Amino acid sequence: MSRALRIGSLGLALCLALPGCQGVQSALDPAGHQAGRIAGLWWLFLGVLAVVYLVVLAGLLIAASRPRRRGVLPNGPSFAREERIERRLTGGLTAWAVGTGAIILTLTGLSYAVDRDILGLTDKAELEIEVTAKQWWWQVKYNDPVPSRSFETANEIRLPVGVPVRIVLKSQDVIHSFWVPNLHGKTDLIPGRVNETTLVADREGRFRGQCAEFCGFQHANMALDVVAMPRDRFDAWRESQLSPAAAPADDLARQGQQVFLSAACVMCHTIHGTTAASRVGPDLTHVASRPSLAAGTLPYSKGNLAGWIADPQRIKPGNQMPITSLSPDQLQGVVAYLDSLK
Amino acid sequence: MSSPCRSAVSLAALAVLTVAACDREEREPRGAPVGDSGPAAITQGTLYAGQPSPPGPSHREYEGNAYHISQGKQLYVWFNCGTCHANGGGDIGPPLMDDQWIYGGTLENIHATILQGRPNGMPSFRGKIPEQQVWEIAAYVRSLSGQTPKAASPGRSDSLNAKPDEQRMPREEPKGSSPGGPNLEGRQ
Amino acid sequence: MYTVGASAALEHQGRRRRCFGLNIPDAEAGADVVISRLTGAMVLVACALGAAVPAPAQDASAGKAIPAAAASPADDGNWVMPGKDYASTRYSAQDEINTGNVRDLQVAFTFSTGVERGHEAPPLVVGGTMYIVTPYPNRLFALDLTKPGAPLKWSFDPKPAASAQGVACCDYVNRGPAFADGRLFINTLDGQTIAVAAETGRELWRTQLGDINKGETITMAPLVVKGKVLVGNSGGEFGVRGWLTALDAGTGTIAWKAYSTGPDADVLIGPDYKPFYDKEKGKDLGVTSWPPDAWTIGGGTVWGWISYDPELNLIYHGTANPGPWNPEQRPGDNKWTGGIFARNPDTGQARWFYQVVPHDLYDHDAINELLLLDLPVNGAMRKTVVRPERNGYLYVLDRATGEVLSADPYAAINSSTGVDLKTGELAMVEAKAPKLGKVVRDICPTAPGAKDWNPSAFSPRTGLIYIPHMNLCMDWQSSEANYIAGTPYVGAEVRMFAGPGGHRGELSAWDPVKRAKAWSVKEDFPLWSGALTTAGDLLFYGTMEGWFKALDARTGEELWRFKTGSGIIGQPIAYRGPDGHEYVAVLSGVGGWAGAVVVGNLDPRDATAAKGFATAVADLKTKTTKGGMLYVFALPQRR
Repeated sequence: MSRALRIGSLGLALCLALPGCQGVQSALDPAGHQAGRIAGLWWLFLGVLAVVYLVVLAGLLIAASRPRRRGVLPNGPSFAREERIERRLTGGLTAWAVGTGAIILTLTGLSYAVDRDILGLTDKAELEIEVTAKQWWWQVKYNDPVPSRSFETANEIRLPVGVPVRIVLKSQDVIHSFWVPNLHGKTDLIPGRVNETTLVADREGRFRGQCAEFCGFQHANMALDVVAMPRDRFDAWRESQLSPAAAPADDLARQGQQVFLSAACVMCHTIHGTTAASRVGPDLTHVASRPSLAAGTLPYSKGNLAGWIADPQRIKPGNQMPITSLSPDQLQGVVAYLDSLK
Repeated sequence: MSSPCRSAVSLAALAVLTVAACDREEREPRGAPVGDSGPAAITQGTLYAGQPSPPGPSHREYEGNAYHISQGKQLYVWFNCGTCHANGGGDIGPPLMDDQWIYGGTLENIHATILQGRPNGMPSFRGKIPEQQVWEIAAYVRSLSGQTPKAASPGRSDSLNAKPDEQRMPREEPKGSSPGGPNLEGRQ
Repeated sequence: MYTVGASAALEHQGRRRRCFGLNIPDAEAGADVVISRLTGAMVLVACALGAAVPAPAQDASAGKAIPAAAASPADDGNWVMPGKDYASTRYSAQDEINTGNVRDLQVAFTFSTGVERGHEAPPLVVGGTMYIVTPYPNRLFALDLTKPGAPLKWSFDPKPAASAQGVACCDYVNRGPAFADGRLFINTLDGQTIAVAAETGRELWRTQLGDINKGETITMAPLVVKGKVLVGNSGGEFGVRGWLTALDAGTGTIAWKAYSTGPDADVLIGPDYKPFYDKEKGKDLGVTSWPPDAWTIGGGTVWGWISYDPELNLIYHGTANPGPWNPEQRPGDNKWTGGIFARNPDTGQARWFYQVVPHDLYDHDAINELLLLDLPVNGAMRKTVVRPERNGYLYVLDRATGEVLSADPYAAINSSTGVDLKTGELAMVEAKAPKLGKVVRDICPTAPGAKDWNPSAFSPRTGLIYIPHMNLCMDWQSSEANYIAGTPYVGAEVRMFAGPGGHRGELSAWDPVKRAKAWSVKEDFPLWSGALTTAGDLLFYGTMEGWFKALDARTGEELWRFKTGSGIIGQPIAYRGPDGHEYVAVLSGVGGWAGAVVVGNLDPRDATAAKGFATAVADLKTKTTKGGMLYVFALPQRR
């Protein structure tokens, strides 16, 4: 392979990697103030360190390419020159050390300033969302000073654009980590402890959060959808979430509701407005309004829902949703009912 | 045998032994196949007409498996077993960590008790708990009185540490012959 | 049965007579009237002459507590309701047995109930017949006191559903029957109220009120007020929705039903509702102070005691803990749980409410007895309701308005620091608040409280309230509770142990005027029996080992004790038999939450058994066994 071809393919590969920086789960595509500051800092670090790297590499290359000189005798004819070189070297190295120190101190200072700035949002939060990590999904509670105006959802967080939101982080089993790269850095969720972070989205969009601390079998499939929306649409969504589940509209859904309430479903799930009020699994009151199923494992669709209920262990082996062995008729009914819970 | 050879052999033997320990954690999220659990597999008393029948097919894969027992432990809490039977010491329902079995102490008996319910207050969970999970809970219930292999029993609790872990529970031998005599204490 | 609307003058006279501890029958039969009037006159004379009568005069000016006049008529020798009278004094004016002769007290007769569970009920005595209701299966026995040995007159078996045993949180107890107008009323564990003809034992009606598949049971003793039988449900540990209902005593039809959670219309909060504190005001607080839907499974059951003041025409009742125990699952005040309601008995409409424990953290049901006393408070006589609360404070409330006049600790408390009388708020200690996934250690008092359901007694002679209570502390760990209908809804693990001092029980004599303990007696085991006080200046109570004790009501000195067959958790009574002599009766038969370790044969190696109570009383298994038996005591008859 010619040298040119090699360089060309390397360049192409790098270009192909660049779009990776964009997207729903990327710290380099910030959609919020904090993520912006973090990304800015990251780019700054990258730039400064790249320059340093290049300078070091260049120095190394220069040193390597210069012919090696034979030993010089003291008091020889070139001794004075050596001494000159020695002095220059000392000066250069001192400058280099001072420069390195200055760069490190500057970067540390900047990093500290960004940290402060990010945490400064904490006091400005207007909304509180409690996120509890469970193996392997996210329970999301929207708290309100009036308790009856609080509500619960799962595996999705909706935020009004431009409003700082306090996220209270808890865990019920093992240590998890909450990470929505487009909005903020990571914060751990630790059993028996309450951590907090603040999110703010500067623009509308749909982002993906991911558990960032290995937490067991299905760690990889423990994701959540984050949707930033304008305030008015958020408020409308909030009101819709506050309403109890819709009553089944047709016979199939009615039959499905009966199955749901008398079969294993009721042992683990909540549907407000019915007698189902268990908290092992996600609250399903408005399940059909969510973008995905099984903590970001499948996009929401009626077919995926049916597949998930029929055999959750094939789709996400080891997760806590058991195979319930419903008859096809029952399954159809349950899917029709759940799909009506917008 | 030369000494390096001996040490190599013993190392290999150790490695093989270590592999055996992996068995404890074999995970079967789809559930192990289960034999007969119907009426034919269950006796409740210890009185037999003629010769005692041989015990029904048992499901040792649940009892000998740490994953299934720990799943059973979690389900025991989730499905409110623990609020009636505490961590085995009993409350509304009878204790499960002692040497007495009212409706029989085999895995099949416990499975049947969970599914059928019992007349003096044990609710029936038929249709509510999938088959495999019932076996897991039953295996955990047996671990409470040390009936399951120590290697498979849970070794830690996330609770108040109200009692020794299942792994450290002494094995309670039911008085009277298996599967457990009738209840003389008038428990439900 | 006494009449409620007696004239003030007669009441006053009656009270005077009683305060001197004389055995005066109700003025009804001709001869009795003569004797009674005569004796009354003699007393008045004695009073005028300043004779050496031990009890000081019962005037308001004397600065002493007296029972609410209209709610505590003169003692007729019967015992027709568990509280003795509507003021819930549990005071008998019988004085044949007194501090001088109690050491001679001996068994008159016994009766086995044939039931092994905890006997929390008092016997009732009406005109020569004694009535006993047992724990599940809630059998009702009538004993003929006119014949030697009190033979069985009739028995009634309501045959409640056996499965109800599985949804009874703390043993299958029953706290007593009620008698009115020739009818006996009992509640069954499976949620029925049944009326039985007192003379024949024939069933008159039965009304199914609770659904065991939702976790509802009924264990409380009904109270009959103005022809209505008041009944409330149990099941706060099963995610039920609490209620109090009034049934027509003649037909069993529901007159009104007041829920403890939900919209104002369900709670019977209307235009009459005038609470004292701002925190109890607002529209539909029974909905808005809960997360969505949580009020439908939020508890607030009414399984405790009800009192009635005929003068103000108000009944008083408490509401139990909110569910689940794990408080983090129900942010908000959780109205109207953990508080005291005053209601109009005719309509059920609420007059006032005071939430003793807003957003309860520790299963502190506010269902304990409510004593209606008139007390001097800051120099003025106030009509009060006195409540030794589960959270360790003795509350004195104005019973007309719901204002808290005082709240003083009568037991060891470290989970709260006191009650702000201006706002009515209880100040909690943050460090002792349960947090999910964390073990909070050494919380006093415990989940059953400094004192549970077992009622106190009040003697107008000593002016003291006798409080049988506990001295326990606990560790607590919250967990997430799952609501599955028909199974418990708790979300907490508890481990209890003896409190400061190492003793687990205590009987305190409390002076409500001085707001201080007059004396107290330490007991090894927690006290789970009620108290009885008599005009003989005696105080009776039982211990969980089975001792039935008589103390000098003034000093606390133990004068007599008798070992019954099982631990005592019942409510002692005193009555005048058909022979004119005084008897003291109590049901022995250990059980209840405290005695579950014995009746359920629990394994105390697990510290969370019986919701943490089993380990605290693990040694009880070596001290007593189960089995219900009635014991009736009297002085030896020397005739």
